[in-house]
Amino acid sequence: MKTDTRLRIIKIISEECGAKPIELVRRLGISAQAVHRHLKALVSAGSLEPRGRGPLTRYFIAGAVEIDRARQWYSSIGKPAESPSEFICETRDVLSARLARLSSLAGMGLKEDDLPLVISVVGEVGNNSFDHNLGQWRDDPGCWLETQVTGGRLWICIADRGQGVFRSLSRVDPALQDEQTALLAAFERTLSGRAPEQRGNGLKFVKNIIAGSEKRGLACRSGAALVAYGQLGGACQKELSRFSSQSCGTVTLIVWGLE
Amino acid sequence: MRIKLKRFGSILTSRPAGREAALAIKAYQRPDADENIEIDFEGVLSVGPSWLDEVLSELRREFGSSRVICLPTKNPSAIESLRVIDS
Repeated sequence: MKTDTRLRIIKIISEECGAKPIELVRRLGISAQAVHRHLKALVSAGSLEPRGRGPLTRYFIAGAVEIDRARQWYSSIGKPAESPSEFICETRDVLSARLARLSSLAGMGLKEDDLPLVISVVGEVGNNSFDHNLGQWRDDPGCWLETQVTGGRLWICIADRGQGVFRSLSRVDPALQDEQTALLAAFERTLSGRAPEQRGNGLKFVKNIIAGSEKRGLACRSGAALVAYGQLGGACQKELSRFSSQSCGTVTLIVWGLE
Repeated sequence: MRIKLKRFGSILTSRPAGREAALAIKAYQRPDADENIEIDFEGVLSVGPSWLDEVLSELRREFGSSRVICLPTKNPSAIESLRVIDS
Protein backbone atom coordinates (compact mmCIF):
# COMPACT_ATOMS: atom_id res chain seq x y z
CA MET A 1 0.00 0.00 0.00
CA LYS A 2 1.07 3.59 -0.64
CA THR A 3 1.06 4.43 3.06
CA ASP A 4 3.28 1.47 3.97
CA THR A 5 5.80 2.32 1.26
CA ARG A 6 5.88 5.95 2.28
CA LEU A 7 6.41 4.99 5.91
CA ARG A 8 9.26 2.72 4.85
CA ILE A 9 10.80 5.57 2.83
CA ILE A 10 10.62 7.87 5.85
CA LYS A 11 12.12 5.16 8.07
CA ILE A 12 15.04 4.57 5.69
CA ILE A 13 15.72 8.28 5.29
CA SER A 14 15.53 8.83 9.04
CA GLU A 15 17.91 5.94 9.79
CA GLU A 16 20.39 6.84 7.04
CA CYS A 17 20.08 10.61 7.61
CA GLY A 18 19.24 11.20 3.98
CA ALA A 19 19.04 9.09 0.84
CA LYS A 20 19.20 9.39 -2.91
CA PRO A 21 16.30 8.04 -4.99
CA ILE A 22 18.52 5.29 -6.42
CA GLU A 23 19.31 4.08 -2.91
CA LEU A 24 15.60 3.88 -2.15
CA VAL A 25 14.97 1.93 -5.36
CA ARG A 26 17.51 -0.66 -4.21
CA ARG A 27 16.27 -0.85 -0.63
CA LEU A 28 12.58 -1.01 -1.48
CA GLY A 29 12.77 -3.14 -4.63
CA ILE A 30 10.31 -0.93 -6.53
CA SER A 31 10.69 1.07 -9.74
CA ALA A 32 12.39 4.43 -9.94
CA GLN A 33 9.11 5.98 -11.16
CA ALA A 34 7.29 4.70 -8.10
CA VAL A 35 10.01 6.04 -5.79
CA HIS A 36 9.85 9.47 -7.40
CA ARG A 37 6.06 9.48 -7.11
CA HIS A 38 6.25 8.73 -3.40
CA LEU A 39 9.01 11.26 -2.83
CA LYS A 40 7.01 13.97 -4.59
CA ALA A 41 3.99 13.26 -2.40
CA LEU A 42 6.06 13.26 0.78
CA VAL A 43 7.72 16.55 -0.16
CA SER A 44 4.29 18.09 -0.88
CA ALA A 45 3.06 16.87 2.48
CA GLY A 46 6.00 18.54 4.20
CA SER A 47 7.48 15.28 5.48
CA LEU A 48 10.63 15.35 3.36
CA GLU A 49 12.79 18.01 1.77
CA PRO A 50 15.19 17.62 -1.16
CA ARG A 51 18.69 19.07 -0.99
CA GLY A 52 21.13 19.29 -3.85
CA ARG A 53 20.56 19.23 -7.59
CA GLY A 54 20.05 16.68 -10.35
CA PRO A 55 21.64 13.27 -9.70
CA LEU A 56 23.18 14.55 -6.44
CA THR A 57 19.78 15.29 -4.91
CA ARG A 58 19.26 13.64 -1.55
CA TYR A 59 16.06 13.57 0.45
CA PHE A 60 15.94 14.34 4.16
CA ILE A 61 13.37 14.45 6.90
CA ALA A 62 11.98 18.00 6.66
CA GLY A 63 13.55 20.29 9.22
CA ALA A 64 16.22 17.81 10.24
CA VAL A 65 19.80 18.93 10.46
CA GLU A 66 22.24 17.23 8.14
CA ILE A 67 25.74 17.03 9.61
CA ASP A 68 26.98 13.81 8.06
CA ARG A 69 30.07 15.44 6.58
CA ALA A 70 30.99 16.84 10.01
CA ARG A 71 30.39 13.40 11.49
CA GLN A 72 32.69 11.74 8.96
CA TRP A 73 35.43 14.32 9.46
CA TYR A 74 35.24 14.09 13.25
CA SER A 75 34.87 10.31 13.42
CA SER A 76 37.65 9.40 10.97
CA ILE A 77 40.25 7.17 12.65
CA GLY A 78 43.08 8.37 10.40
CA LYS A 79 43.44 11.68 8.61
CA PRO A 80 40.02 12.55 7.16
CA ALA A 81 39.57 11.86 3.47
CA GLU A 82 37.79 15.17 3.07
CA SER A 83 38.62 18.46 4.80
CA PRO A 84 36.39 21.02 3.08
CA SER A 85 37.74 24.54 3.38
CA GLU A 86 34.20 25.93 3.47
CA PHE A 87 33.81 24.44 6.96
CA ILE A 88 37.33 24.11 8.34
CA CYS A 89 38.75 27.11 10.22
CA GLU A 90 42.41 26.24 10.17
CA THR A 91 43.45 29.22 12.30
CA ARG A 92 41.80 31.62 14.75
CA ASP A 93 41.85 34.33 12.10
CA VAL A 94 39.69 32.21 9.83
CA LEU A 95 37.32 31.51 12.74
CA SER A 96 37.08 35.26 13.44
CA ALA A 97 36.20 35.96 9.81
CA ARG A 98 33.52 33.25 9.86
CA LEU A 99 32.08 34.69 13.10
CA ALA A 100 31.60 38.00 11.31
CA ARG A 101 29.58 36.19 8.63
CA LEU A 102 27.10 35.04 11.28
CA SER A 103 25.66 38.58 11.14
CA SER A 104 23.70 37.46 8.07
CA LEU A 105 21.59 35.26 10.38
CA ALA A 106 19.70 38.39 11.39
CA GLY A 107 17.89 38.17 8.06
CA MET A 108 16.93 34.54 8.58
CA GLY A 109 14.60 34.85 11.55
CA LEU A 110 17.14 35.24 14.36
CA LYS A 111 15.87 37.81 16.89
CA GLU A 112 17.93 40.99 17.08
CA ASP A 113 18.78 40.41 20.74
CA ASP A 114 19.86 36.84 20.01
CA LEU A 115 22.52 37.65 17.40
CA PRO A 116 25.13 38.93 19.94
CA LEU A 117 24.53 35.82 22.04
CA VAL A 118 24.86 33.40 19.11
CA ILE A 119 28.10 35.03 17.97
CA SER A 120 29.63 35.02 21.44
CA VAL A 121 28.60 31.39 22.10
CA VAL A 122 30.11 30.22 18.81
CA GLY A 123 33.18 32.32 19.54
CA GLU A 124 33.69 30.74 22.96
CA VAL A 125 33.24 27.16 21.76
CA GLY A 126 35.28 27.68 18.59
CA ASN A 127 38.14 29.42 20.38
CA ASN A 128 38.18 26.64 22.97
CA SER A 129 39.33 24.33 20.17
CA PHE A 130 42.41 26.50 19.65
CA ASP A 131 43.02 27.30 23.34
CA HIS A 132 43.27 23.62 24.28
CA ASN A 133 44.66 22.01 21.17
CA LEU A 134 47.34 24.33 19.83
CA GLY A 135 50.18 22.02 18.94
CA GLN A 136 48.07 19.01 19.96
CA TRP A 137 46.05 18.40 16.78
CA ARG A 138 45.94 14.78 15.68
CA ASP A 139 46.10 15.75 12.02
CA ASP A 140 43.82 18.50 10.65
CA PRO A 141 44.44 21.68 12.66
CA GLY A 142 41.60 24.00 13.53
CA CYS A 143 37.89 23.56 13.99
CA TRP A 144 34.90 22.68 11.83
CA LEU A 145 32.24 25.38 11.85
CA GLU A 146 28.97 24.75 10.05
CA THR A 147 25.57 26.45 10.29
CA GLN A 148 22.24 25.30 8.88
CA VAL A 149 18.82 26.88 8.96
CA THR A 150 16.12 24.27 8.66
CA GLY A 151 12.72 23.55 10.18
CA GLY A 152 12.52 26.97 11.83
CA ARG A 153 15.76 26.37 13.70
CA LEU A 154 19.38 27.44 13.47
CA TRP A 155 21.82 24.57 13.90
CA ILE A 156 25.51 25.18 14.58
CA CYS A 157 28.10 22.41 14.59
CA ILE A 158 31.63 23.04 15.91
CA ALA A 159 34.11 20.19 16.00
CA ASP A 160 37.82 19.56 16.29
CA ARG A 161 40.32 16.72 16.06
CA GLY A 162 42.22 17.72 19.17
CA GLN A 163 43.16 15.92 22.34
CA GLY A 164 39.70 15.86 23.90
CA VAL A 165 38.40 17.30 27.13
CA PHE A 166 39.47 14.42 29.40
CA ARG A 167 43.10 14.55 28.39
CA SER A 168 43.14 18.35 28.73
CA LEU A 169 41.45 18.55 32.15
CA SER A 170 42.81 15.41 33.82
CA ARG A 171 46.23 16.97 33.59
CA VAL A 172 45.15 19.68 36.05
CA ASP A 173 42.67 17.65 38.09
CA PRO A 174 43.75 13.98 38.38
CA ALA A 175 40.58 13.32 40.38
CA LEU A 176 38.66 13.35 37.09
CA GLN A 177 38.47 9.63 36.48
CA ASP A 178 36.68 9.37 33.16
CA GLU A 179 35.60 11.26 30.08
CA GLN A 180 32.02 11.89 31.23
CA THR A 181 33.13 13.40 34.55
CA ALA A 182 35.65 15.59 32.75
CA LEU A 183 33.11 16.84 30.20
CA LEU A 184 30.61 17.68 32.94
CA ALA A 185 33.36 19.50 34.86
CA ALA A 186 34.15 21.56 31.76
CA PHE A 187 30.59 22.91 31.70
CA GLU A 188 29.86 23.01 35.42
CA ARG A 189 33.13 24.11 37.07
CA THR A 190 35.59 26.95 36.59
CA LEU A 191 38.40 24.65 35.55
CA SER A 192 40.78 24.85 32.63
CA GLY A 193 43.30 22.58 31.02
CA ARG A 194 45.45 25.68 30.65
CA ALA A 195 45.87 26.05 34.44
CA PRO A 196 47.60 27.79 36.16
CA GLU A 197 46.36 30.44 33.72
CA GLN A 198 43.28 32.14 35.15
CA ARG A 199 40.53 30.96 32.80
CA GLY A 200 37.78 28.39 32.51
CA ASN A 201 34.50 30.30 32.52
CA GLY A 202 33.67 30.14 28.82
CA LEU A 203 31.52 27.01 28.89
CA LYS A 204 29.65 28.23 31.97
CA PHE A 205 28.73 31.27 29.89
CA VAL A 206 27.58 29.03 27.05
CA LYS A 207 25.49 26.88 29.41
CA ASN A 208 23.85 29.96 30.95
CA ILE A 209 22.85 31.29 27.54
CA ILE A 210 21.45 27.98 26.36
CA ALA A 211 19.40 27.74 29.55
CA GLY A 212 18.10 31.26 28.96
CA SER A 213 15.33 30.20 26.58
CA GLU A 214 13.18 27.12 26.00
CA LYS A 215 13.98 27.39 22.29
CA ARG A 216 17.67 26.57 22.70
CA GLY A 217 19.69 23.43 23.20
CA LEU A 218 23.24 22.13 23.15
CA ALA A 219 24.99 18.81 23.21
CA CYS A 220 28.71 18.16 23.40
CA ARG A 221 30.64 14.96 22.81
CA SER A 222 34.26 14.28 23.62
CA GLY A 223 35.31 10.65 23.29
CA ALA A 224 32.70 8.46 24.92
CA ALA A 225 31.32 11.38 26.95
CA LEU A 226 28.13 13.11 25.87
CA VAL A 227 26.26 15.89 27.70
CA ALA A 228 23.22 17.95 26.79
CA TYR A 229 21.75 21.20 28.07
CA GLY A 230 18.63 23.22 27.42
CA GLN A 231 15.08 22.28 26.44
CA LEU A 232 16.20 21.28 22.96
CA GLY A 233 19.38 19.58 24.16
CA GLY A 234 17.83 16.19 23.56
CA ALA A 235 17.55 16.85 19.83
CA CYS A 236 21.24 17.75 19.71
CA GLN A 237 22.18 14.73 21.80
CA LYS A 238 20.31 12.42 19.42
CA GLU A 239 22.39 13.75 16.50
CA LEU A 240 25.71 13.52 18.35
CA SER A 241 25.00 9.97 19.53
CA ARG A 242 25.77 9.00 15.90
CA PHE A 243 29.28 10.48 16.15
CA SER A 244 32.05 8.09 17.03
CA SER A 245 32.85 7.59 20.70
CA GLN A 246 36.34 6.49 19.64
CA SER A 247 37.34 9.90 18.36
CA CYS A 248 39.52 11.94 20.70
CA GLY A 249 38.31 15.34 19.61
CA THR A 250 35.33 17.39 20.74
CA VAL A 251 32.12 18.21 18.88
CA THR A 252 29.38 20.60 19.96
CA LEU A 253 25.96 20.94 18.34
CA ILE A 254 23.80 23.95 19.20
CA VAL A 255 20.19 24.52 18.17
CA TRP A 256 18.45 27.89 18.35
CA GLY A 257 14.78 28.55 17.60
CA LEU A 258 14.04 31.17 14.97
CA GLU A 259 11.03 33.48 14.64
CA MET B 1 39.07 58.00 30.96
CA ARG B 2 36.68 56.13 28.68
CA ILE B 3 37.70 53.00 26.75
CA LYS B 4 35.42 52.59 23.72
CA LEU B 5 35.55 48.88 23.06
CA LYS B 6 34.18 49.33 19.53
CA ARG B 7 37.63 50.65 18.61
CA PHE B 8 38.88 47.08 19.01
CA GLY B 9 36.24 45.69 16.65
CA SER B 10 32.54 44.92 16.62
CA ILE B 11 33.01 41.24 17.51
CA LEU B 12 35.31 40.75 20.49
CA THR B 13 36.22 37.13 21.17
CA SER B 14 39.20 34.99 22.20
CA ARG B 15 41.65 35.33 25.03
CA PRO B 16 44.67 36.14 22.83
CA ALA B 17 42.79 39.04 21.24
CA GLY B 18 41.65 40.27 24.66
CA ARG B 19 45.18 40.06 26.00
CA GLU B 20 46.47 42.06 23.04
CA ALA B 21 43.74 44.68 23.55
CA ALA B 22 44.65 45.00 27.23
CA LEU B 23 48.32 45.53 26.39
CA ALA B 24 47.40 48.16 23.79
CA ILE B 25 45.19 49.98 26.29
CA LYS B 26 47.99 50.02 28.88
CA ALA B 27 50.46 51.32 26.29
CA TYR B 28 48.38 54.04 24.64
CA GLN B 29 45.64 55.01 27.09
CA ARG B 30 46.94 55.72 30.57
CA PRO B 31 44.54 57.33 33.07
CA ASP B 32 45.51 60.17 35.39
CA ALA B 33 46.27 59.23 38.99
CA ASP B 34 42.77 59.98 40.26
CA GLU B 35 40.84 59.08 37.10
CA ASN B 36 38.48 56.13 36.74
CA ILE B 37 38.55 53.88 33.68
CA GLU B 38 35.12 53.54 32.11
CA ILE B 39 34.51 50.56 29.82
CA ASP B 40 32.06 51.57 27.10
CA PHE B 41 30.25 48.78 25.17
CA GLU B 42 28.42 51.12 22.80
CA GLY B 43 28.78 50.03 19.16
CA VAL B 44 29.95 46.50 20.00
CA LEU B 45 27.92 43.78 18.30
CA SER B 46 29.13 40.88 20.43
CA VAL B 47 31.64 40.35 23.22
CA GLY B 48 32.62 37.05 24.84
CA PRO B 49 33.69 36.44 28.45
CA SER B 50 37.15 35.22 27.44
CA TRP B 51 38.02 38.46 25.66
CA LEU B 52 36.41 40.66 28.30
CA ASP B 53 38.00 38.74 31.17
CA GLU B 54 41.46 39.34 29.75
CA VAL B 55 40.83 43.08 29.43
CA LEU B 56 39.15 43.60 32.80
CA SER B 57 41.60 41.40 34.71
CA GLU B 58 44.59 43.24 33.32
CA LEU B 59 43.14 46.70 33.91
CA ARG B 60 42.03 45.79 37.44
CA ARG B 61 45.45 44.37 38.18
CA GLU B 62 47.23 47.45 36.84
CA PHE B 63 44.98 50.22 38.15
CA GLY B 64 42.88 48.65 40.92
CA SER B 65 39.42 47.07 40.73
CA SER B 66 37.60 50.07 42.16
CA ARG B 67 38.78 52.30 39.33
CA VAL B 68 37.61 50.03 36.50
CA ILE B 69 33.92 50.66 35.86
CA CYS B 70 31.79 48.99 33.19
CA LEU B 71 29.22 51.46 31.86
CA PRO B 72 25.61 50.24 31.70
CA THR B 73 24.80 48.37 28.53
CA LYS B 74 21.82 46.59 26.97
CA ASN B 75 24.05 44.33 24.90
CA PRO B 76 23.02 40.82 25.97
CA SER B 77 26.43 39.29 25.31
CA ALA B 78 28.10 41.95 27.49
CA ILE B 79 25.58 41.40 30.26
CA GLU B 80 26.04 37.63 30.19
CA SER B 81 29.83 37.92 29.97
CA LEU B 82 29.98 40.18 33.03
CA ARG B 83 27.68 37.77 34.85
CA VAL B 84 30.20 34.90 34.63
CA ILE B 85 33.30 37.06 35.04
CA ASP B 86 32.10 38.66 38.25
CA SER B 87 30.45 35.55 39.70
